[in-house]
Amino acid sequence: MSNQEHAPRLEGLPRHARLDVPALLATIVLVILALAVIVPMILPFFFVFKTRLEYSYNPWSLPKQIRWDNFTQAWKVIQIGRGMLNTLVVCAGAIVCTVPPAAMAGYIFARYRNRLTEVVFYIILAGYFVPVQMVLLPLYRMSVSFHLADTLPGLFLPMAAFGISFWTLIYRSFFKSLPGELAEAARMDGSGHPGTFFRVMLPLAGPATVLAVLLVFIGAWSDYLLSLIMINSQSLFTMQLRVAQFLNAYGVDYMPRYSAAAIISAAPTVILYIVGHRWIIRGTLAGALKG
Amino acid sequence: MADRAERARGRRRKGGIRDRSRSLFILLMLLPAVVALGIFMYYPIEETFHISLMRSNGLVTAAYTGLENYRLLFHNDEFRAGLAHVFLWAFWSVLIQLPLAFFVAFCLIIYRNKVTKPLRSIYYMANILPSTITAMLGIFIFSNTNGVLASFARLIHWNWMMKIDFLGSPSIAFWSVFFVATWMYLGFPIIYLMARIEQIPSEIREAAELDGAGGWRYARTIVIPMVSYSLRILAVLMIVGSLKLFDLPYLMTKGGPGDATKTLGIILYNQGFVNWQYGSAAAIGVVIFLLSLIFTIAQFSWQSGESE
Repeated sequence: MSNQEHAPRLEGLPRHARLDVPALLATIVLVILALAVIVPMILPFFFVFKTRLEYSYNPWSLPKQIRWDNFTQAWKVIQIGRGMLNTLVVCAGAIVCTVPPAAMAGYIFARYRNRLTEVVFYIILAGYFVPVQMVLLPLYRMSVSFHLADTLPGLFLPMAAFGISFWTLIYRSFFKSLPGELAEAARMDGSGHPGTFFRVMLPLAGPATVLAVLLVFIGAWSDYLLSLIMINSQSLFTMQLRVAQFLNAYGVDYMPRYSAAAIISAAPTVILYIVGHRWIIRGTLAGALKG
Repeated sequence: MADRAERARGRRRKGGIRDRSRSLFILLMLLPAVVALGIFMYYPIEETFHISLMRSNGLVTAAYTGLENYRLLFHNDEFRAGLAHVFLWAFWSVLIQLPLAFFVAFCLIIYRNKVTKPLRSIYYMANILPSTITAMLGIFIFSNTNGVLASFARLIHWNWMMKIDFLGSPSIAFWSVFFVATWMYLGFPIIYLMARIEQIPSEIREAAELDGAGGWRYARTIVIPMVSYSLRILAVLMIVGSLKLFDLPYLMTKGGPGDATKTLGIILYNQGFVNWQYGSAAAIGVVIFLLSLIFTIAQFSWQSGESE
């Protein structure tokens, strides 16, 4: 489409014909690079429908028949189902503990600016730049003394705390972009500060909320480092821990079954991305460009 | 009433907080975020500094030892290797990933057509895969038993390539992990630079086109100077990212063989959670923190120097 937008301007110019060659070359290079991104993601599908024997004889052949055994076995042996349940709890917890505090704080920073809230804003903003690696040790020790060690809240609470700064920033700029007259009108109608926020402004911030829920979910689903530190019992292992544990234990020997586990564990984020890639990219950029 | 509405608009600083319900509202709205960050971020930061000055072994935190942990750290070969890897990683990220990302972003915008338009979403896709999965894909490719490269080498009888142990050889493992990381992380600089290049006013581009500055001359003389600030931001992000690097090298090689792919994150994890050396783990945490702080401050001082 946009190619055609420029086309009329170039028509009649002699170099129009010459311009096509670099365009063609660039297109080819870009497509090859895109394939380099896509193809590795397809690799597990080579293995997942095979038995171990088939795999060790001929890992790269096309599967002779589609069998789902590896999926059911991954579900049972690697206990992907159990891991998925834990991961879903972590995701839900992370969303509930990240999004509302960020929305509330972001609203204050957008609409109730004074010297004091400005100071608090910078304190929260600074958290965006704190690497989680730095505080792993005290986090763990703290969770031991709070009896949060080796529990799912012990995982999603710090996870949420580390997400709040970013989403406060996003909500702040979103609430700033909403017309102030709306809040005023609500206040004139007699709703108090909380009423204005919860009944008028928060619903208007729906797009930001959808984005926050989506990206916090993806982040919590994919987390590895914090889960590794905080969770010790097998019964509480998240999906990513299960997958990593299996990889450590068996290497590439059990590749077909392992591929099945990997496909199950990557599927939600990939599907969410395919459905919402525009939003995800826009949201990521909104944070970064403000940065 | 009018005064009230004006304050509700909240644009102007109105000499502090007057009515009680308003300040209560502000307090309650900020409370969850402040409490969460206080407990799970700022208190642990203080603790990290504190622990790093203690001699600690196992679960017992013993006496104050000043900077002893740091002194030991900088005499420790493993830590020095980790530090070297982190900076090597940062160096090559900036040198390889940044130009590559710029090339892709620039081409995607200049040569936009029906084929290239949807590619942006594809490039970013690797970024949202869980790192465990990315590490697994990396092992699929580089494993010397049935890996993609090994199988390919066998197929066409490239014996020299079959001999390469991509993950097991100290001199190559670093590059194998780096390759996978490039694959995974390149999407972000691409979409970021695309957004920046798109912000360049179309008149400038048209003028350049009329002057005959197509393709690379346009990139060199106009686009790169105009996005140089973004390029520097990305460089900082890459450096800070290297300081925090953990998942991929840990999952792919456990930092091995030997110390070949150890990063500060991995050493911190080993010291703190495998060897239970809290003091030195905390000291590594402080080093990571201070280095990222330095680069982040550098970024902000550029930003204020060039505020648009």
